[in-house]
Amino acid sequence: MIVEVSHFLSIISTGLFFLVGCFSLTIKNNSYVTSLISRTYSHAFLFLFISFLIYVWLAATDNFSVQYIYNHSNSDLPVFYKISSIWSAHEGSMFLWIFFLSVWGFVFNIAIKNNQILKPKTIGIISLILVGFLLFLLITSNPFTTILPIAPLNGADINPVLQDPALAIHPPTLYLGYVGFVIPFACSIAFLINGDPDIKWEKLVRKWSVSAWVFLTVGITLGSWWAYYELGWGGYWFWDPVENVALMPWLAATALLHSLNVSIKSSHLRTWTILLSITVFSLSLFGAFIVRSGIIDSVHSFANDPQRGLYLLAFISVIVLSSLCLFISRFSIIKNLSNIKIFSKESFISINNIFFGTLTFSIMLGVVYPLIYEYLFDQKISVGAPFYNAIFIPIVILASLFLFFSIDSKWSRNIGLKIFTKPIGLSLLLSVSVTTIIFFYFEVSKIFILLSVFTGLLVIFRYLIEIWFSLFYKKYLNPFSAIAHLALGLLLVSISLNSLLSTERALNIKINEFENYKDLKIYFNDLRVNKGSNYDAIRAEFYIEDKKGNGFNLSPEKRRYFTRGQITTETAIHVTPIKDVYLTIGDQLDDGSWIVNIQINFLIRWIWFSAFLMAFAGIILISSRRRI
Amino acid sequence: MKKLLQLSIIILPVSFFLIFFILLTEENQFPGADYREFDLPVFELKILNNDVSIANSDLEGDYVMNVWASWCITCRIEHPYLASLAKNGIPIIGINYKDEKIDALEWLSKYGNPYQVIVQDYKGTLALDMGVTGAPETFLVNKGKIVAHYEGEINDYVWNQVFDPIIQERGMFK
Repeated sequence: MIVEVSHFLSIISTGLFFLVGCFSLTIKNNSYVTSLISRTYSHAFLFLFISFLIYVWLAATDNFSVQYIYNHSNSDLPVFYKISSIWSAHEGSMFLWIFFLSVWGFVFNIAIKNNQILKPKTIGIISLILVGFLLFLLITSNPFTTILPIAPLNGADINPVLQDPALAIHPPTLYLGYVGFVIPFACSIAFLINGDPDIKWEKLVRKWSVSAWVFLTVGITLGSWWAYYELGWGGYWFWDPVENVALMPWLAATALLHSLNVSIKSSHLRTWTILLSITVFSLSLFGAFIVRSGIIDSVHSFANDPQRGLYLLAFISVIVLSSLCLFISRFSIIKNLSNIKIFSKESFISINNIFFGTLTFSIMLGVVYPLIYEYLFDQKISVGAPFYNAIFIPIVILASLFLFFSIDSKWSRNIGLKIFTKPIGLSLLLSVSVTTIIFFYFEVSKIFILLSVFTGLLVIFRYLIEIWFSLFYKKYLNPFSAIAHLALGLLLVSISLNSLLSTERALNIKINEFENYKDLKIYFNDLRVNKGSNYDAIRAEFYIEDKKGNGFNLSPEKRRYFTRGQITTETAIHVTPIKDVYLTIGDQLDDGSWIVNIQINFLIRWIWFSAFLMAFAGIILISSRRRI
Repeated sequence: MKKLLQLSIIILPVSFFLIFFILLTEENQFPGADYREFDLPVFELKILNNDVSIANSDLEGDYVMNVWASWCITCRIEHPYLASLAKNGIPIIGINYKDEKIDALEWLSKYGNPYQVIVQDYKGTLALDMGVTGAPETFLVNKGKIVAHYEGEINDYVWNQVFDPIIQERGMFK
């Protein structure tokens, strides 16, 4: 009964969103219409909000008469996971996705005053997008379907690899990022429809874009961290198709943040900024399509249903193509200042945008090309790390070099850029010496690793010097830019050193025996059978000792979950700032020994730290009162 | 030049959408189906009920091989369908995959036994040779040769779409 209420409310809200959309795009704006649109949107949101709350409550209270909850939850689960089971499969996660989309619209609706001329159209566009996705949800993937007349006593359980705190918050964070780009998208479309080139829509959406970017950054990082310790993949990035479809909007969004800056400061690149904001949101939608159409097999993909895929494809192409057509038809009215001065900040940011665009496009090719190839030649090929490394490494190195020289550049001016200054000289000197030490100490033979360490260090030292100057000599420094770029340098160095130094090995060890690996002694002390609330586990006890006699215990597990019978490996990780010792246990061999996989991962924590630092830079930008 | 640039902005996404449209409407609705032919692997394992040894050479004629386990939820879902197949005279050989004997026997007494013979494959060696990735999976065997393989739950729809054409073509189960 209650589930029908929730179902009904979501249908009502669909209707209301439709009304908002129609009103805002057809009726000429005046203050009365604007406040009507704003209020109607809030009501529609309220209905959807209550509908979603009821759904969460149904999941938390084990209402297995709801088909979806029956399929993906279980009464043995802690309440936390009962709720997170909502986004463990297609229907529920789509519901969450749509709900978040409406939340962004709602916050925008409240935060922006009614006298902002673009507001009604922006709200209207968001509403129409919501209508399309709500119809998709209600027609092809209804989460409200019930099992009647008799509800089952217990559910079929959530996938055990999803029973993890990082994973419970990874999808919501990521979704908040994806759908957050609806704000710059809708604003740019509203700007195009409105057709008045003097409206500064870029200024309006800057902080919104940064917020969405922060969520996307954190979401991707959490996913990377989860794959490392929970899936037992043992690395931080795998160029999995779904990782790629999250990285594409991230790269395009990073380009957008830069080009928004230019458009705000000096009215250059305005056309390009609009195109980028359309691209970022299109790529977010593309992500939803890839995951939900079943077109690609991946850890992330949901059950295959061609009908859903077709609906999504049709709706997304309507959004993308109509906005691009609008863009082209209004091409001439957008006032662009041309003639960017060659050594100005605008010039450097344009170069940055070209790099980011190239990276985004090559990932797109990497995702799509295997699909085309398989269709044409009936052969599976995989485009993996070698392809992406070959493209990313040189471009990122080049981009960082440009970044290094761009630091002194000024907006709209050629002057002030010298090739050799004290900070440049000092950071060059420091980076060269540190790179030389690394070269001799680790006997590096790969030139690209050395180069990327070097450019990473350049960026780090340069910004550290700038921060020093700004602290003690009051030199002007943009703190967000400094922190974010410092994080980029850190990311570059830690990724390079990680790939250089990390090693792994599969060992066969019997109980009460030990093996040597590198300078570590690995003692296999015990094997126990444990019982969890919803699984059986084999727990292996290891003691690991280094040369100096310092040791620590590690206990990896293998679990078998009762309801699904799925077997998962629980990794055991010893964390230090410099390196992780990472153990997983495999199968028992016929001679009684166990396969134990050991990895030594250098600086992997620094990779995530850098990503979080970037997000942190975004957070202080959002919270700063300064109007930029 | 400017027109060309504008046009390319549209052409690029349109071509992507077209590609996806073609891929989505492609006829391959059964990603779990595989029609490669190969000989039934050589094995010698024990029968579940009586621990008597059984080899691949003991199995004759046409039959269905179904990989199942008591821990597998989907196996329970497809179980009634297997029972109806058995009722219609289709011989089904069970491969009890990575299971415990007691659990398997209890499961059978609870839900019924549609299998003619059940092979204990507790180390998963036979399943490995057959290319099994999990349970349930179902194989169609024609005169000692595997002619079709399906990963996932078997039901009426899958049976008619994936297995029936092969059965008709080869004139099996007559």
